[in-house]
Amino acid sequence: MAKKDTEKALRNRGISDESIAKLLVEYATVAQVTEAGEAKLKELGLKEKEIGMLIKKSAVAKAKKAPAKKGGKRKEEESAPREHFEFEMPNKVRGTSKLEQKMRKYSEELGLDIPRSVLQSIANRIEGLDVPNESVKRIVKRSYERYLEHQMDANESAGILAAQSIGEPGTQMTMRTFHYAGVAEINVTLGLPRLIEIVDARRVPSTPMMSVYVAENIRANQEEVKRLASEIEMTSLIDIANIETDIVNMKVIVHPDPRKLEQKGIEVEQIFKELAKTRGLKGLVEMAGANITISSDVPSFKKLQNIIDDVRDRKIRGLDNIKRAILRKVGDEYVIYTEGSNLGRVLEMRGVDKTRTTTNAVQEIYEVLGVEAARNAIMEEAFRTLDEQGLNVDIRHIMLVADLMTNDGDVKAIGRHGISGRKSSVLARAAFEITAVHLLHAALTGEEDHLDGVAENIIVGQPVTLGTGAVNLEYKPVKRGQTNG
Amino acid sequence: MMRGVSKRIGSIKFACLSPDEIRRMSATKIITADTYDDDGFPIDMGLMDPHLGVIEPGLRCKTCGHKVDECPGHFGHIDLAMPVIHVGYVKEIKKLLQSTCRVCGRLLLTEDQAKEYREQMEAMEELGGDALDMRMMTKDTAKDASSRQVCPHCGAEQMKITLDKPTTFREDGHKLTPKEVRERLERTPDNDLVPLGIESASCRPEWMVLTALPVPPVTVRPSITLESGDRSEDDLTHKLVDVLRINQRLRENRDAGAPQLIVEDLWELLQYHITTYFDNQTSGIPPARHRSGRPLKTLVQRLKGKEGRFRSNLSGKRVNFSARTVISPDPLLSINEVGVPVEAARELTVPVFATKANLSILKDIVKRGVNPPGEHYLPGVNYIIRPDGRRIKVTDKNAETVAETVDVGFIIERHLMDGDIVLFNRQPSLHRMSMMAHTVRVMPGKTFRLNLCVCPPYNADFDGDEMNLHVLQSEEARVEAQILMKVQEHILSPRFGGPVIGAIHDHITGTFMLTHEDPSVEMYKSRYTKAETLSILARVPYKVLPDPMVDKKGVEYWTGKQIFSLVLPEDMRMSFKASICRKCNVCQKEKCDLDAFVKIRDGKLLYGTIDEKAIGSFKGKILDKVARDYGSERAREFLDSITRLAIGAIMIRGFTTGIDDEDIPAEATRQIEEVLREAISKVDGFVDAYRRNELEQMPGRSLEETLEVEVMKVLGRARDEAGQIAGRHLGLENAAVIMARSGARGSMLNLSQMAGCIGQQAVRGERLSRGYWKRTLPHFQKGDLGAQAKGFVINSYKSGLSPTEFFFHSMGGREGLVDTAVRTSRSGYMQRRLINALEDLKLKADGTVRNTADSVIQFKYGDDGVDPCRSVQGEAIDIDDILVEVLGDEAELLSRIEEKKVGGYATVEKDLMETEGDEEDELETDTEFEAGGEE
Repeated sequence: MAKKDTEKALRNRGISDESIAKLLVEYATVAQVTEAGEAKLKELGLKEKEIGMLIKKSAVAKAKKAPAKKGGKRKEEESAPREHFEFEMPNKVRGTSKLEQKMRKYSEELGLDIPRSVLQSIANRIEGLDVPNESVKRIVKRSYERYLEHQMDANESAGILAAQSIGEPGTQMTMRTFHYAGVAEINVTLGLPRLIEIVDARRVPSTPMMSVYVAENIRANQEEVKRLASEIEMTSLIDIANIETDIVNMKVIVHPDPRKLEQKGIEVEQIFKELAKTRGLKGLVEMAGANITISSDVPSFKKLQNIIDDVRDRKIRGLDNIKRAILRKVGDEYVIYTEGSNLGRVLEMRGVDKTRTTTNAVQEIYEVLGVEAARNAIMEEAFRTLDEQGLNVDIRHIMLVADLMTNDGDVKAIGRHGISGRKSSVLARAAFEITAVHLLHAALTGEEDHLDGVAENIIVGQPVTLGTGAVNLEYKPVKRGQTNG
Repeated sequence: MMRGVSKRIGSIKFACLSPDEIRRMSATKIITADTYDDDGFPIDMGLMDPHLGVIEPGLRCKTCGHKVDECPGHFGHIDLAMPVIHVGYVKEIKKLLQSTCRVCGRLLLTEDQAKEYREQMEAMEELGGDALDMRMMTKDTAKDASSRQVCPHCGAEQMKITLDKPTTFREDGHKLTPKEVRERLERTPDNDLVPLGIESASCRPEWMVLTALPVPPVTVRPSITLESGDRSEDDLTHKLVDVLRINQRLRENRDAGAPQLIVEDLWELLQYHITTYFDNQTSGIPPARHRSGRPLKTLVQRLKGKEGRFRSNLSGKRVNFSARTVISPDPLLSINEVGVPVEAARELTVPVFATKANLSILKDIVKRGVNPPGEHYLPGVNYIIRPDGRRIKVTDKNAETVAETVDVGFIIERHLMDGDIVLFNRQPSLHRMSMMAHTVRVMPGKTFRLNLCVCPPYNADFDGDEMNLHVLQSEEARVEAQILMKVQEHILSPRFGGPVIGAIHDHITGTFMLTHEDPSVEMYKSRYTKAETLSILARVPYKVLPDPMVDKKGVEYWTGKQIFSLVLPEDMRMSFKASICRKCNVCQKEKCDLDAFVKIRDGKLLYGTIDEKAIGSFKGKILDKVARDYGSERAREFLDSITRLAIGAIMIRGFTTGIDDEDIPAEATRQIEEVLREAISKVDGFVDAYRRNELEQMPGRSLEETLEVEVMKVLGRARDEAGQIAGRHLGLENAAVIMARSGARGSMLNLSQMAGCIGQQAVRGERLSRGYWKRTLPHFQKGDLGAQAKGFVINSYKSGLSPTEFFFHSMGGREGLVDTAVRTSRSGYMQRRLINALEDLKLKADGTVRNTADSVIQFKYGDDGVDPCRSVQGEAIDIDDILVEVLGDEAELLSRIEEKKVGGYATVEKDLMETEGDEEDELETDTEFEAGGEE
């Protein structure tokens, strides 16, 4: 931002010329000013009112800027007050049966460090069978012994194992987009392209999709669920009305289709309200019987065209990005499957089961629920993609990939923009992709390669630091006259 | 002794060369653009100056005095008449120019700000920020600094710096010469560079503008002498000639006081040549070309990409002591063995260190020479290495005399012999089982021989596949291979904790026919006379033949199950459902009329048929259990016996399949026709309804889509029905059915397509629609939406396809082929990225998984620390086993446990025949191609 722009911006905020001059000496951009903080500004001799204005206004500006920056093209939501809701904690996070608790107690008594998942699976197996306590104790003990035998060895190259285990079945996968099992209407990318999409940590998957589960009290009620689905599904004006342009009178006339309105359960007034709220159309919208007219305030065809464009895709109801919502009966409940994804907004809705509702857009889960959830989502999605193709891959491999991708607190891609570009070794980065840039930059910053990794050591011709290469033998010769030990 | 690594390289530091250093390390200054004089001798101070190293044998280097291969080569240098910008650093230079003062050269930040940024950087380094984070940070710093218009140090007004790609800088439109750029960069103090991430000790900014150019040693750019006697120079030499020539002209013109314009032109030309010398793919300038029009391969091109130095020569290297030839099967080999042809064995050698203990044996080997006589293969020797490092070639003539000289301390490179450990590999090496250690069996013939059970991990077949073999050269390597890489150690895959090595094809058919019992069918009476039994067991190591069964007439016989039990571990107990299981709602267990419930108690097969589920690769449950509970040695034994047993069994009766296996009675054919006709008329009904707009629209689908879905459903069902009708007439005495049902090869779907109806052909999961306007082929009416017009094939493979059907079938087939081609490259790249991202992760002794920066990726591997190889189908422990062990044979309890357990098994895999309306099956046949079509 040039100095002049800064000056202008500050003046717009009602800062006196005197103060502006003071500020400009110290700061170049408005952002810098606002970041400087109250105390510093005070030091410069600004009036309190002005400081307040600066800080407050910039806070607003920031809030406005932030989502636009983050979400890319995501349109700003209308500023209707969000429905207040309370998140009910599910009453049980994970059921622990009595038997499991008993086994837990035994294992603690015996001082065995046995994972909960193992105990749980044993408990599930012998649940309902009349097993004497003494036997349970022995089962726990034997299980622990077996468990120890099955531990992975130290210095095992767990990473390569995981990469091969996920990469190898890739050659056996299909390239095609299939119908989603159960919901024939929604196309979902599956197979290899989907797997690549997951490891790439793409912002938006090529076919975003949600499974919206419904709260317990209404999940069996088809009508209620249907109503919920229609609230989720995005309806544009063009879906429910014909739009006519009256060039002579410089008007746009909207003819709502009564049949479709009924189908969707939308009132004409609702359309009117929504249109009236639209930016740029304020005061131009009028009800004319069953129709709605929008007259242009400026006699310009361009403006008229703009109005048409604005009006046509005007969202009347539903959530952004959700193109379609379809009901399916799963077991004895109705589940809503949607084409397009908007997890944040769906979770805010009443009647949605917040604990089970999910999306296949990993980044969205990250933004709404955080990294841990994203890590689970990556695992879940990758595992399902492989499993769907009939390929059996141990969950531990996928877990490792997911953990690596989310290790830094955000979701990073597998590839030169993500994990590989962040390796500590220059040689390893150069060997992967964009060789020259890495080497040149390394020279500039005087980087040092400590040859800890695999690729570097292969390049210089040394044993790698994994497996048998990770250990060394030390030999202390015994001098004559001394005994060993 | 050169074995092992005595020293390790601790670290490698990267830095820029300063002009000073370039001159200091230079062996000679280069001034002449020519290479050789008329007599063919290199010109002094030319590009091929003998001070730069030697490339011709016999000559000595003028700098170090060594000969070829000993002299590493030495750098020279060119003094540039005018400074020139280094292309690789234009972006950095721009950043520096923008963020430093044009007058005083200081960073355009106040001391406080600079300090803050420095502190931030330190904090980031402490918190483990990686190279990318650092770069982002310094970028922000630079951006911040360049947004300032007035220098906080000297108060000078700053001007706008722009970059004209690739190498021209402008300040408010005025061109900045590299000289001016360099002068500015020189002014920036070291301390001001720290916030920008530049370490002045390894790279002063002015070094990014070159005043001297290092000339790489001739060994880096050797010239080749062609047959005609002409010399052909390396691309780099060509480029350097250009640089030198222009440099010379520039100097002359400048010194002679030529007009500014001319000097500037030459200066720019020099810049061009040096730019392309570094990177001949710089965007914005035309690449320098060879006389033939081929773009030159300059420095960056040498390094980057798949054929570049890094990936081609540094990450992957060529090796000696390797062999490659076609592979072929040999069921009598152990899975651990590989058959090596004599000719290969005579070339591949193992170095043996002579000691007192083995001296006489080695002498004998050496005495035999290169080509030991005799009918049986005996290892000879190719070379011996004396303690002083001299290599002596052993020939037939000198063998005797050389043998005399062999003493302790010699190394004898003897031929391969039985029992040697070698690595065996088939590309693409997608997982660690693509390269395993085998023991050698030298045999006649020209191919590598391997046991069929190891085909799945290598993904090998014998349609011309070739494989590579590497002979290990050090004791450490052999030991590691023996313990870690032997085939038997890889029976259980780390991918899913099941067996990857296991019986395939005929082995499964063999055990199926041996163990399947069905008293109503003659061939499944499972009665073997003593002679037959012994013939089956001829090559199987077993201890005692069990007591024979006796029939009513008093004739002794053995059942197939008895024979099979001989190879099972003695105390084995398990039960599961075989592949042939029909998945009835209520399992009949032991009373199963298909003999599909396998029950093994005390190592005896009591009930059930041994097929893919029991011993097959990927699925074999018995195999899984043997490998996990009885150890790899026992598993190897089991597999070896199984192969021999199966071959023995299949040879008793013989096994063949042909097209007449798909013969079905005329009545069945009629029924199939009826079903298909009905389906087609139903489709026509749908089309009519669609035309009349009477079709009930599916929610969320257009009318057209609804029609397609309905039609696909009807036709899919018709195909299945046709298959079922055909299947009814194909019983378990049919060879093709045996293969399909036992899981040996093929599926019932394949059979139904051969006997019944091929079904709908699809591209992208939809009926065929492309081709002519509104129709697929001119044989149909425009707008015809009927079954045949859109790719439904009524005929079977056996009855033969009509011309249109054949065309449609090819369309479907083509998609499969394209799919494979696209897939291999895509999945290959994905795997490369995965490997690259994950290669450094290892499990530390404390149970955490960490990367090279020592940051924790997982606190406990896989949340439970269990090795997937040792897991039980992904589970940490085998609970059933423990229950049996702890609870003993408490009959009632166990049966209830078993009930639970069996219920859970075998519900995952779906039988394609039985899944209704699965529209994607058609490609099944086409995917079969891929496996073999690779070669």
